[in-house]
Parts: sequence; structure tokens; C-alpha cells
Amino acid sequence: MSGRAIEVDGNQVWIIEEGNGGPVIYLHGFADVPGLAGDVPPLQMELAKDFQIIAPAHPACSKSDEREDLDNMEDLVFHYLDVFEALDLDTFHLVGSCLGGWVAAEIASRYPERIRSLSLIGATGLFVKGHPVADIFWVAQPEDGLYYNDLRNILFSSKDSEIGNELFPDGRGELDRELLRYGMFRFASRFGFSPPYLHNRKLRSRLRRYKGPALVIWGENDHLVPREHATAYSDELNNAPIEIISESGHSVQVEAVADAAALILKFLSKN
Amino acid sequence: MHAAKFFCWHFMAYPYLPDDFDDKYESAWVTVPNSLWDSEKSADLYQEYIDQLVYGEELGFDGLVLNEHHQNVYGLMASPNLIAAALSQRTERAKIVVLGSLLPLRKNPLRIAEEYAMIDMMTQGRLIAGFVVGGGSEAFNYNITSVKARSQFWEGCDLITRAWTDDGPFEHEGEHYPLRYVNIWPKPRQQPHPEVWIPGSLSIETMEECAKRGYNYFLSSRVHGSATKAAVSRFAQIVEDHGGAYHPYRMGVLLSVYVAESDEQAREEASEGVWYFLRNCLKGHLRREGRTQTFGPGIPSQSKRSWENYLNNSEPGRDLLGDAKDWDTLDAGGSIIAGSPETVRRRLMELIELAGVGNFLIQFHFGNMKPELARKSMHLFATEVMPTLRQQSAELFARDFPNLDEQLGESA
Repeated sequence: MSGRAIEVDGNQVWIIEEGNGGPVIYLHGFADVPGLAGDVPPLQMELAKDFQIIAPAHPACSKSDEREDLDNMEDLVFHYLDVFEALDLDTFHLVGSCLGGWVAAEIASRYPERIRSLSLIGATGLFVKGHPVADIFWVAQPEDGLYYNDLRNILFSSKDSEIGNELFPDGRGELDRELLRYGMFRFASRFGFSPPYLHNRKLRSRLRRYKGPALVIWGENDHLVPREHATAYSDELNNAPIEIISESGHSVQVEAVADAAALILKFLSKN
Repeated sequence: MHAAKFFCWHFMAYPYLPDDFDDKYESAWVTVPNSLWDSEKSADLYQEYIDQLVYGEELGFDGLVLNEHHQNVYGLMASPNLIAAALSQRTERAKIVVLGSLLPLRKNPLRIAEEYAMIDMMTQGRLIAGFVVGGGSEAFNYNITSVKARSQFWEGCDLITRAWTDDGPFEHEGEHYPLRYVNIWPKPRQQPHPEVWIPGSLSIETMEECAKRGYNYFLSSRVHGSATKAAVSRFAQIVEDHGGAYHPYRMGVLLSVYVAESDEQAREEASEGVWYFLRNCLKGHLRREGRTQTFGPGIPSQSKRSWENYLNNSEPGRDLLGDAKDWDTLDAGGSIIAGSPETVRRRLMELIELAGVGNFLIQFHFGNMKPELARKSMHLFATEVMPTLRQQSAELFARDFPNLDEQLGESA
């Protein structure tokens, strides 16, 4: 299997698929973008051992078309309703990391009956007073025109993170990688720059509409989304368990694949 | 005869940064701590800058140019319209060029239509109306989503010009600014409306949108002569593709000039202000060192295609204007010209001959330059550079643009 394009409302949506079993939709964040353009990434490969994993690339990301007609989260949720229809999916498990976690939470609060379980990894989306999501747009502007130390520090355990340096290297990387990252920032900016920043103030009170099983996974050293957001998600999701991944930063899905996969597989298997 | 026009541009920079500013701060924009602002020292600052612009009219400049910047030390005109209002009471002849108001920062661009109409009435029709989309610093300062700013911007331009020209009340069925009742009081003094100028930095899309609407294009990138020439050729072609004919007043360029009695004296006198401007004011904007907020992946205003084009045609980590280390580099860049009247005359005439541009927007005050030096330079320019350039450019334009009378009659 692996990657293929589907058409949704006249636009191409790139999806990565692997495995057989109950369908699991994975909605991605910043660190996933390079991976979703190639072979099935390691976490998805692990999940595919027991499930059918389906990872669509957000509009403008990977080989998915950018959609100028989408302005806000409401529009994006409609986009995903069309994606699910095109994939003939009625009910499914939903896993989301970073911005993908935010989208997953928005979908779960609107269509709880379709979601068999909800797993959130370092999800943005909530407003937690006094604990803002860090400004990823600011640090995406290189220091001295070349260096992405602050960006890596926000997305990973530290600026020196090995996987961080591979995915977000200093200087100018290969053109296709640069464009993948740029596309992700186009996407994130469209939906997350304003209202400020990467959250929806109304999401928190809507989350309780989802009453199904939920799991909250957070990197111990998440410098993008403060730990208070994990607590807030847990509070609103019927005290969903919070799993802290030691030594990982924000991007647990690539920094701690084995731990994340084990937790999610166990959780999915129960539900 | 139609000569090149010379406008006196001011940024109104903050001149009192500490000497170690460059070492300690990554940017002069957005995050530059305003604890560095000194109200006591700055007590007469706006008055001095306004006086310099008024002096520009006295010296015979064609116009005075204002601009809008926020939360930075590079330019202290958070509201250029306030300065335009002040100038309306101090000047009688010069054009007042607001270049421009940042449209996406307004919840409703109608306010700009109203304020510009007021300025145009207050100046007896001397306003040139600039509209600006803004860049990264505006995104961060005012929370503007850069991927949507352009579409907001062009809708704002169209709403404003229609509000000036169509009788109200009418309904504007806009995507970003839907309005039931558009019916501004006052309307502008100039009919059908003040000239519109739009700054751009070489993007084809901006040139096309300007050409469609009959707006003038102002090249804000600080590029050297041959790049200016290339931009003019590109815009001229686009104007023709849209059924128009290019002439020199359809475009303007931004330059910085310092004139003194000799080349050596010019460099010596300008040094303090110029290097303050480059090192400090441009940090976070046109400097590689530090962190630029103007342009980049964090404020992805460009389409993926344009970004690919940019990546293919630029060196990562290349030096920008503010990274220049010496005068020779600046000289080669051609955007900052310091020299004797003879040198400045020659360099500008070369540019006029090469590019065929008719509007020169010239920055005379740099960073922390002493006011008396800026005034001396303006005076030398006005008395020993401008007259010759006007005469020579008029001859040149008469030769190269034989239908200019007619064209200007049509556009007037």
C-alpha cells in the first residue's frame, strides 16, 4: 500500500495507508510532514501491525492540494467530512498529534458518534489561560538567515535532537523537503495564526460532547504546547489518562516511536 | 516638458538606541523592548522630523513621503495619517504621499477611504494614496494571517476606490469586508480620486493587479540599477498586456542619498547615521544577522510556487543591505548613494537613463543622523543636484516618451 491520491471536492488529498484491521485515522503535525511524502513512517508502520492506518496530508501538506477556499477550522472539519466519505469510512479510531490533534478534537466534539477512540499527542487547540502555545511562526524565521535552533527546540526535546536536525536542518535543505516544510507552515498559518494562536477558545467547552474513550500523550519536554494543555484535555475528556513520554519533546510521534506505538496500540486494542 | 519628480522620504527613526544594541538584540522590530524608548530625549523628535519635511517643500521637492510601521525603531509613524494631517497645516504645494496605509491591519478599510478623503480635502487635493499589504512584522504585530492578507488587501483597495468614485449608499458584497452601507463623507478633493501607489518587491502578481486597476507601482526593494531596469521592463510589459502604455510616472523607486561638498566629506558626515540605520534599524528586516521578521517560512505569504522560485533563485544566508561592511559594498549596491553633488547627479542620471523611472523617493535622514546634516544634504541636493536632473530628465523623457503629454492628459 503506502501513498495514494484521492479526490475530494475537486482537490487532491494525499493519503498514506498501511495494514489491515479496524480503521485508524492519523492526523499529522509539523514533524510528520517529510515522512508523509515518502514511505510509511515508523509509528504508522507499528500501528499497522494490528490496524488499518490511514494518514491524510492536510491541505497544502505533502502532495495534498492547498485549498484557498478554506478559511477556518469549521471549513477544515468539512474538508475532513468529505475525506471520510471518499474513503467510505463511517466510524473509526482517531489519532492526532500537534495541529492534527487539534483537528481531531474538533471532529470528535462535533461527530462523537463516529469516533471509536480519540488519542491526542501534544495536541494544540485549547486556550489555557497563562499557558499559551509557544510561537512556532516566530521561531520558523531563521537566526542569521540560516539557523533553526529555536524551531527545533520547540518541536523536539532540544535544538540538538538528532531527529530534529534530520527533519528541520539548518541552512537550506533539499528543495522538496523545504517545500514540504513550507507547505506545512502555509497550512498552520491559515488555520492557526489567527485567532491567536493555534487554538479555538470554544473548543474546551465543546469537548465534553465526546464521551468515548480518550488517551492523552505528551512529551516530557514539550516546548510548544505546555503540559497544562494535557491536563485540560484530560479534564474535559472525562479524566482521560495522561501518558508522559520521558525524554521526548513535542514530537513524540517521531521522537519516541516505540513508546508511542505501544501506548496507542494497547489503547486501541481495548476499544 | 515633463521632468523626473523628486520626493523627500522620511522614516522617522528612533535615534537614541544604546551603542551595544546590535550585540544585545536580535531585531529592531516587534520584540525590541520599548524600555529603550526615552520620552525625555524624544520630546522634540516628531517636531524635528515634521520640520525636516516642511523644509523639503521649501526646497522645492515635488512631494513628501510618509510610511506606516509598528512596534519598531526603524520608523516611528504608527499612523502616517496623523503626520499627513500635521503637514496639511504646514505646507501649501508639495504632494503628501502616504506610502502607505497598511490595509489588512484595519478591521474595516473604509476608515482609510475616509481618512484619505479628509487629507485630500485638507490639502486641496495634494494626497497621493498609498496602500500597503504589509509583511511579517505586521503579521506578528497585528495578528494578520499572512496567507490571507493579499486577498484582504486587494478587496480593501477596490472597496476604497469605489467608495471614492461611486455614489453612495451602495452595498459592498465583499468576502472580507461585507458592508451594507458604503456612503463616505467627505469624498476626496481630486476627481475621480487621488493617484494610487502600491509598493511591491518585484512580484508579478502585484504588478498585474496594479496594471489592472491603473495604479502606479512603487519598487520598494532596494536593488541596483540593472534590477530596477528589469523591474521597469517587466511592469511596462504588464501594463501593455493590460491595454495601457507605460510612462515614467507609472513607477517610483526608493533610494537613500547623502550629499556633501565632496565624496570624502559625504562619507564622513553620513557614516554615523548610515551605519546606525544599517546595523540597528534594518536588524530584523534587511539584515541576515539576527532574526528577520519581514519574510520567511514563519510568515508564509507567498504561494508554494513563488516560494519554490525564491528558493531556486537565492543563496541561503546571503548578505542583505544591512549586512554591508563598507562603503564600497554600499556603492556597488546602488541603493544608498553618498557623494558630492557631481557624483550624486551622475549616479541618479545613470539610473534615470537606464530605467526610465519618473518618481524618485529619496531618504535623506538616516537613523540617528544629526538633523543639521540631513538638512544640509537636502539643501545641496535641491540646489545642486535636482535642477540639472530635472532638466536632463525632461529632455530624455521628451525623446523616449513622445506621447507623454497625451498620456498624462488621459490619466489626469
